[in-house]
Amino acid sequence: MVIAAVALVGLFPAMYLWLFKLGVVGTLSCKIGGCEKVNTSPWAIFLGQPVALWGVAYYVLLFAVALAGTSERFAADRRVSIALVTLTGWGVLFSGYLTYLEAAVIHAWCQWCVVSAILVCIMFTLSVVELRAGRRADSR
Amino acid sequence: MPCGALRPRATINHQPSTFYPLPSALLEPVPPRPVAFSHLSLNGLPVASSNARASKKQFTFLLIAIVVIGAGALGWAATRPAGGGEAIDPNMPLGTAQGFLLGSPDAPVKIVEFADFECPACAQFAMLTEPDIRERLIKTGMASIEFFVFPLPMHPNTWSASNAAYCANEQGKFWEMHDRLFYTQDLWNTQTTSNPGKKMMGYAADLGLDRDKFEECFDSKRHYPNIKASGAEAEKRGINETPSFIIGGKKYAGSIPYDEVKKLVDAELVRVGKADTTTKGAK
Repeated sequence: MVIAAVALVGLFPAMYLWLFKLGVVGTLSCKIGGCEKVNTSPWAIFLGQPVALWGVAYYVLLFAVALAGTSERFAADRRVSIALVTLTGWGVLFSGYLTYLEAAVIHAWCQWCVVSAILVCIMFTLSVVELRAGRRADSR
Repeated sequence: MPCGALRPRATINHQPSTFYPLPSALLEPVPPRPVAFSHLSLNGLPVASSNARASKKQFTFLLIAIVVIGAGALGWAATRPAGGGEAIDPNMPLGTAQGFLLGSPDAPVKIVEFADFECPACAQFAMLTEPDIRERLIKTGMASIEFFVFPLPMHPNTWSASNAAYCANEQGKFWEMHDRLFYTQDLWNTQTTSNPGKKMMGYAADLGLDRDKFEECFDSKRHYPNIKASGAEAEKRGINETPSFIIGGKKYAGSIPYDEVKKLVDAELVRVGKADTTTKGAK
């Protein structure tokens, strides 16, 4: 449940950055660093689509899997835990890559990207704990 | 007997003593009481199930709360006015659209650029790609760049920056100010300050401009109609993002890497019959 809630929280910064890419949000609210610089850099595009859009899709998928895992039907299904660890593990790797780009290549920080990276790390930790503890335990 | 069934106390009242009658209250069946042990059943309903239901309900409320707060924040972000910067009069008259040329007016290929001084992608182009273009294409006479400002509505401070560039142009230092503005964009953009004019005065001093003349020009805002006209020119040409380029009559949106620019310039040189220019050392 916690993972689903965190995934839902993470969906909003991703949507915010995507709306910026679409031009719906004019100026990014950014208390630290250069969100706009990061989000208009060439690295803000991945496989032809904005990274923010990939982020939205990722969080929607993660939320759907985590939400399914809270249902009685999948409460004891270990495959859900494995799927969550895989998804969040991928998220940690990709967030790490993006954070490296911010620090070493773009030389600017986007606070929303940092928030997303932190959320992904939290979800990965929870997923691993859940996998090790076995499912149930109220289907975290 | 599993916990949660009626307590044995209910059974001791079955045989009342003749000599010591029990109070009638004890003769009545003891009503079932809530039991806290979650894995047991009560009144035919598993307690765990009722706890799970309560937990699901809380979870649903939590998700709804997240959605409401998140959607509210997004709505606010999408509709809030940009912080800082100055309000631009929408009824300001149109002046004259003016491009700023770098390179020979007779260069066989003209690269027309539309950019916003506050746009990060434009700054990136100015810092990463343009030095190569200047060195390899403009100095070799293959191409020239004509720069038009295109102030985007989400960048209020771009007006001050454009104003500074126009005023620097009055003293023959447009390109010096152009470079300074893009290289220091993080220091004066809307996210950083609501008073970019102070920075512009500092840049004018750094570039050796006549401070009084620059200040008079900057404060008068006499170039604002021209800046507006420049933006209108961009829109007239169908430009809707920055940076955008016109090379050989074709539009290209977004920051283009040098190799791509070189290819386009070479193709245009072939088209205009000046292909031999490409052999003069440009790579």
